[in-house]
Amino acid sequence: MFPSALDDIKVLDLSRGIAGPLCARLLGDFGADVIKVEPREGECGRRMPPFFGTEPDPEKSLFFLLANLNKRGVTLDLETPQGAALLRALARKVDVVVESFPPGYLASQGLDLASLERENPGLIMTSITPFGQTGPKSHYNGNEIVAYATSGIMHISGTADREPLKHGGFPAQYEAGMNGMLATLMALLVRDETGEGQAVDVSVQEVAASTLVINQPYYSWSGGVQNRRRSEGSLFGQVTPCKDGFFVCQEGGGASWDELADFFGREELKEERFADPAQRALNGEALDEILLAATCERSMAEMFETACGKYRMLFGIVQTPADLARCRQLEARKFYEEVDHPVIGRIRVPFRLFNMTAGGAQCRRPSPLLGQHNDEVYGGVLGLLEKERAELRGRGVI
Amino acid sequence: MEEREKKLPLEGLRIVDISNIFSLPYASALLADLGAEVIKIEGPGRIDLTRQGGLSGAYPDNQPGDDPWNRMSTFNLLNRGKKDLTLDLSRPEGREVLKDLIKISDVLMENFTPRVMRNWKLDYPNAKKLNDDLIMVSNSGYGQEGPYSQYPAQATTQEATHGLADATGYEGGAPSKAGQSFVDFLATWALVMGTALALRYRRRFGKGLWVDVGMYQLGCAMVSERILDHEANGRRSERIGNRHPWLAPQGCYRCAGEDQWCVLSVRDEEEWKALCREIGRPELESDERFLSNEARIAHHDEIDAVIGAWTARQDKFAVMERLQAAGVPAGAVFDARDLNLDPHLRSRGFLETLDFPPERGIGKRQIIGRPWRLGKTPLRARGPAPTLGQNNRAILEGLLGYSRVRVEELEEAKIIATEPTKARPVVHLEMDEHVRQGRLSYWDPDFKAHLDSEE
Repeated sequence: MFPSALDDIKVLDLSRGIAGPLCARLLGDFGADVIKVEPREGECGRRMPPFFGTEPDPEKSLFFLLANLNKRGVTLDLETPQGAALLRALARKVDVVVESFPPGYLASQGLDLASLERENPGLIMTSITPFGQTGPKSHYNGNEIVAYATSGIMHISGTADREPLKHGGFPAQYEAGMNGMLATLMALLVRDETGEGQAVDVSVQEVAASTLVINQPYYSWSGGVQNRRRSEGSLFGQVTPCKDGFFVCQEGGGASWDELADFFGREELKEERFADPAQRALNGEALDEILLAATCERSMAEMFETACGKYRMLFGIVQTPADLARCRQLEARKFYEEVDHPVIGRIRVPFRLFNMTAGGAQCRRPSPLLGQHNDEVYGGVLGLLEKERAELRGRGVI
Repeated sequence: MEEREKKLPLEGLRIVDISNIFSLPYASALLADLGAEVIKIEGPGRIDLTRQGGLSGAYPDNQPGDDPWNRMSTFNLLNRGKKDLTLDLSRPEGREVLKDLIKISDVLMENFTPRVMRNWKLDYPNAKKLNDDLIMVSNSGYGQEGPYSQYPAQATTQEATHGLADATGYEGGAPSKAGQSFVDFLATWALVMGTALALRYRRRFGKGLWVDVGMYQLGCAMVSERILDHEANGRRSERIGNRHPWLAPQGCYRCAGEDQWCVLSVRDEEEWKALCREIGRPELESDERFLSNEARIAHHDEIDAVIGAWTARQDKFAVMERLQAAGVPAGAVFDARDLNLDPHLRSRGFLETLDFPPERGIGKRQIIGRPWRLGKTPLRARGPAPTLGQNNRAILEGLLGYSRVRVEELEEAKIIATEPTKARPVVHLEMDEHVRQGRLSYWDPDFKAHLDSEE
């Protein structure tokens, strides 16, 4: 084993869904020992599609697999006195607790930071919730689309003639997981020096809103409110169809406009009427006609390589998951890792977010089955005897 | 002032930051908020692109002034709390200064295409020779190695390539760009994370390392569940607009007023019943077309028509508040004005105010702070963004101990400067013209009064 930045850190993950579990997983990727605590029926993440195969199965959620790599898993009913006592015992042994309950829930169970830190003064508690722990909306319900709406992103996504458009998938949840992880690291850096733990409060709304670095200050500098783009106008710079899919081309990078004209193989693009962005906007229809004719027989793969490699253009192609699964660049970056899951079997998962020359992310174990490590954790970590564990099982605490 | 006495997490850390545009400047701004000393390096002929190009940011009160490059909104947000040194790195004399700075710094950050630092012999293996436990943080489009590594990249073309455009778009329509440099911000979070990991690694093991963030890879990670569905099942999901991939109903509905919208999302039977009651249609609770999640997915269009008829008559904030009070996830679609004036975000300190020195003629301006709070470590932007070359002398004479004569020689040779030697022409349009051209929805002439009164 190579040394990792967090291989001295223990984490208790009480969180559910995507953002909180991903935060705890990322701590595990960089060496932390993470124990995931789930209710007896499993957390809601186990019910999230896509599943391996066609039938919903709590052991076959691929989303759960992804967000819970590098963890051991136990079950625990927090709402029984014995369950709460076990949680307090576990919380004495760790450095970080990650949670995503509605604000106030843990306090109502006597399991908030103020209660837990009495027995573990250096404890850090990272909370990831839709609107944060304080403020008039802290009790609001939220999810991906609510974060997209209340962050301002949706207002500028899509086209002006239609409704605002959410990005596909769950990017705000992924980003909130990353922010939970990096804010926890900051709390750990403080604790390394002072020995003090603290609360880390992450709001998914704020994470999404933090990406509006053009939109937000535009208003506070000038009163301007940005718009969704107009649906008419030239395709240049937008998603444009070609032989087998779509591409996006922008001016800039290492290529001049004349070089773009060479790439598209159309001398007329060098004419005065396309010389600058204003001219091109004015002659958008003519420009589109040329672009579409120039690309209708060309494939995405060929154009991408030629445009980026030979002409040094800013050029993108609309890749599907199948394209990403066989991408040579991702392979060179060791993006994928293979894991052996006891139910799903051997599967390749997208894993490595970025690379480091030392201490980089390591994939050490698949996501846990429900209660898979009850004996190992309650026996090995808390030192409960088999008889005691059997009694807890009998009462439905674990 | 008690809070200033708290030690910040990165106090005492010195970062040399040769970065441009969004992702890495934003990361080093957050590191500055966290206590690091950040020295931003810009070329006199290659100033940060966010200082120029009047269409991706605004001037204070739409006035470019005499030094437009110091006044742009986005630049000032992304470079708060830093020091600024201009340095012409295309010439060896400029690179000598950079080498001297590397020797006395903890972290070197850069976002050139990978060949640039290699050509200057300032890539990690070479920079490490100047400072053995240096942490280097590089941000590039595709990462430092691999067949695409030398491809030029920008978020707007990458978001197609990294799989977001394929997932985004109106139902049945073409793929759509996200259009707000989305992947840049993923890189920001990864860069802060990587820097913090490297610091803790160095603290524990006494060794520096190189953090290598490729934006493409990060963008791909954000569609991981789609890749996994393909890997495991060979499935490919369609573009579904604002609908939820497995729950119903969910959508974005028109409200009273021009371009006003509200979203809502129902996750279970309880929320469905609450929604039916709240919109005054309790009979739908027992309507067999909508009795289960599966049934609601099958009849989504009919549900949308009912909800849309209800929201169309109401204010978007009223819809959000009523549904939230009933326990249904809902959110008004905020525009930039709503975002800036949101009492919740302001009360949490997410939005904070930069106070510029009077001679800058910018005044007080509200900016995005950080999306997290540390309970015992209050954080704030530690000052406005610097003017071009603002700290040239302080850094060269004070920090590096250069003589005044040497600094004057560097000025003479235009290795350092306080005005750009090359800049794009200023694009200055009246606010109404921005609206007419469709770049803005509208503009609010009373924005300052609104920002002040809501505070």
